[in-house]
Amino acid sequence: MSSTTLNNVPIAVPGTPDKARWERAVPVFAFPVVTSFFFVLLAFALLAVLLTAYREVVGLGPVSGMNDKFGWGIWKTFNVVVLTAWGSGAFAVGIAAWVFRRKRLFPLMRMALLTSFLAYACGLCLLGVDVGRPWNFYWVLFPWNWNVHSPMAEVAICMSVYASIPLFLENIPPVLERLWYFDARLRPGVERAERGLHKLYPFIIALAYLLPGMHQSSLGALMLLAGQRVHPLWQTPFLPLLYLGAACFMSFGCVAGTTMLCCLVWKRAMDMEILDEAARITAWLIFGWTALRLLDILFRGALPTAFHFDRFAGIFWLETFLTGYGCRLLFRSLKNHKLRTMFMGYTISSVGGMLYRFSPTTLAYMPGPKAEYFPSLIELLVAIGFVTVGLAAFLLMVKLFAILPAPAQDWRDMARYFEARRPYISWTKYFNFGFFGDTEPISPDILSDKVSHKDSD
Amino acid sequence: MAITRRELITNIAKAGVPAAVAMTITTTVGTQTLQAEEVPVPNAPVGLLYDASLCIGCKACEAACNEANNTPPDTRGDGLHQAPIDLNVYTRNIIKLYKPEDGSPSSFVKRQCMQCFDPACAAGCPFEALYKDEDTGAVRWDGVKCIGCRYCTITCPYSVPRFQWLGINPVITKCELCSHRLAKGLKPGCTSVCPVGAVIFGPRTVLLLEAKRRIKNNPGRYYQDRVYGETDNGGTQCLYLSKVPFVKLGLPEIGPESVPSTTLRWQRRIYSYFALPALLYAGLVTVIRKNLKGHEHEAHELEKETGLRAQL
Repeated sequence: MSSTTLNNVPIAVPGTPDKARWERAVPVFAFPVVTSFFFVLLAFALLAVLLTAYREVVGLGPVSGMNDKFGWGIWKTFNVVVLTAWGSGAFAVGIAAWVFRRKRLFPLMRMALLTSFLAYACGLCLLGVDVGRPWNFYWVLFPWNWNVHSPMAEVAICMSVYASIPLFLENIPPVLERLWYFDARLRPGVERAERGLHKLYPFIIALAYLLPGMHQSSLGALMLLAGQRVHPLWQTPFLPLLYLGAACFMSFGCVAGTTMLCCLVWKRAMDMEILDEAARITAWLIFGWTALRLLDILFRGALPTAFHFDRFAGIFWLETFLTGYGCRLLFRSLKNHKLRTMFMGYTISSVGGMLYRFSPTTLAYMPGPKAEYFPSLIELLVAIGFVTVGLAAFLLMVKLFAILPAPAQDWRDMARYFEARRPYISWTKYFNFGFFGDTEPISPDILSDKVSHKDSD
Repeated sequence: MAITRRELITNIAKAGVPAAVAMTITTTVGTQTLQAEEVPVPNAPVGLLYDASLCIGCKACEAACNEANNTPPDTRGDGLHQAPIDLNVYTRNIIKLYKPEDGSPSSFVKRQCMQCFDPACAAGCPFEALYKDEDTGAVRWDGVKCIGCRYCTITCPYSVPRFQWLGINPVITKCELCSHRLAKGLKPGCTSVCPVGAVIFGPRTVLLLEAKRRIKNNPGRYYQDRVYGETDNGGTQCLYLSKVPFVKLGLPEIGPESVPSTTLRWQRRIYSYFALPALLYAGLVTVIRKNLKGHEHEAHELEKETGLRAQL
């Protein structure tokens, strides 16, 4: 029994066996990669690259709004601190799936890994643009020069190691899979690589949970050293834990929300059982996080400052309202199974979380009287450009590789689609997914909607 | 779920027994404080004593500082006067004036690096580009190690380090107590020219005695009869005397414990000897290895059933 909602996307109602069940990651096959929107993204990215070159020549002062009082601009405080929280999906969803055995979340893992990798890669690239003396970064290779108790060292080292080793390796399977389908001659090599990767997996995955746990909390610890310069509503010994918690619920929102959005845009079926599971976890995470935050503020005695009529109190209540209302919408969506409610819940709570991650470094940071910071146009364009690079790469990846979850029927549809276009494919040698080889022959019973049971019979 | 959690905990415990034992032995037997919390004391800490009640605001020290550090005078205001608004990349030392509207006592203040015993800038510096000089205790900057992250400008409670906003090879500038002059046996530039002796240079212990002598000889002259920097922020090598509250001069009341020791306490405990992360890693590996095996098995079962290649 399936019902339909917006855009006639079929959704599966929990508890009933259904065709909308997510069983397999399937590329977004019938949509062109190169669209006008893709060109717009690339244009922004190109502009950002040009402006980056300009920044390297003239220095940070002329291109940004940063100054002696506000040493950090949005490149660090938004693109790194906030967007990597969105990109913690590989950590949060992964821990829920692999450590706490929420097996239903497995279909979301490839989305989580991809969004994480892109968020981290873009953030780290922009970090390289933001720091003044990036050529000295080679010190990261010499552990005896690390200041191990510095949160900054931990963030810098952990993040670059995490993005370049475990996260990168975790994103390889879809690529290997595509190679496997691309040409039968590649298969022995691909299978050897897969076996090697699988042997390493426990160690890689464990590292992929340890490192983000460390650096996402250290991002909070960064502002501990700023002491009294961060407003008491935010400055707390629990800052690392709260930053980590915010990363968890924001990344759930990012992974599930992005998946929902993709399914709407590309007319994919939605598995409400999985989405409900994610929404339930997110809602409880937000609930626990908000409770921890409010209790901490209460016990530190900072609550009266929340009732001063100033900017800080306003931001605090806005954050609390956004996360709280998002949490409420998510709980409500568990009952009414409305995609709109769930999506709004994810969006609003994520915006609230983003504001929270942004505040201690910028909005609630008080370096002294008359200190002002507002990002310059160039700064904004570069920040946007480094997001659009990630978006463009995401669109490319989702269309070329099996990332987005779908019912198994979509895989068969894809087979049929490329079977029909085989002459075109053989001419371009571009997208050879239609070649299904020995274990997956294009047989009539696969092309029909029946599932073949040749092995089990 | 209950079983899973218990398994998680038991697995972590199993994997971590040796590590936990090692950690317990190393942290409890022996000293109570962690290695990182023992602030190494310089061999011969030297510093400045600035008496704001003596300063006449002539700014001779500013010019002397420029000369000593070979930085150009900051005449960016009108092209004629050396009149920086605050510390900046050309200005490592500045005289400011606190003059309240209501006519209560006003005061000049000399601002430069406080040379903390436990500097927040060095505690946060990722590759130890900012470091405490072993002998003089001056907080110095090493351009070979600095990545230009500007974390020091965020953490310094006195807002001292400055980043160069122009050019392709930006540097961090801050008062380094004229370490190059100290090496030649000369005093820091600012102390060599002060006409009234408002700022003097010497070993910190001597300066502290001198400050206390002044307080004793002039009861009621100084704010709270207190030397700022004696214990503030864990002790600083530059000491201040003032008639007006120190906060008005831009010296925050931090308390006797240094910023790094209070704020990074738990951070340092958690990461001490990297034992806890290692423990967690071992636990995660065992749990994931088990779950992965089950997952692979299920995926291959599904492959046999549907005829579609397993996606792992």
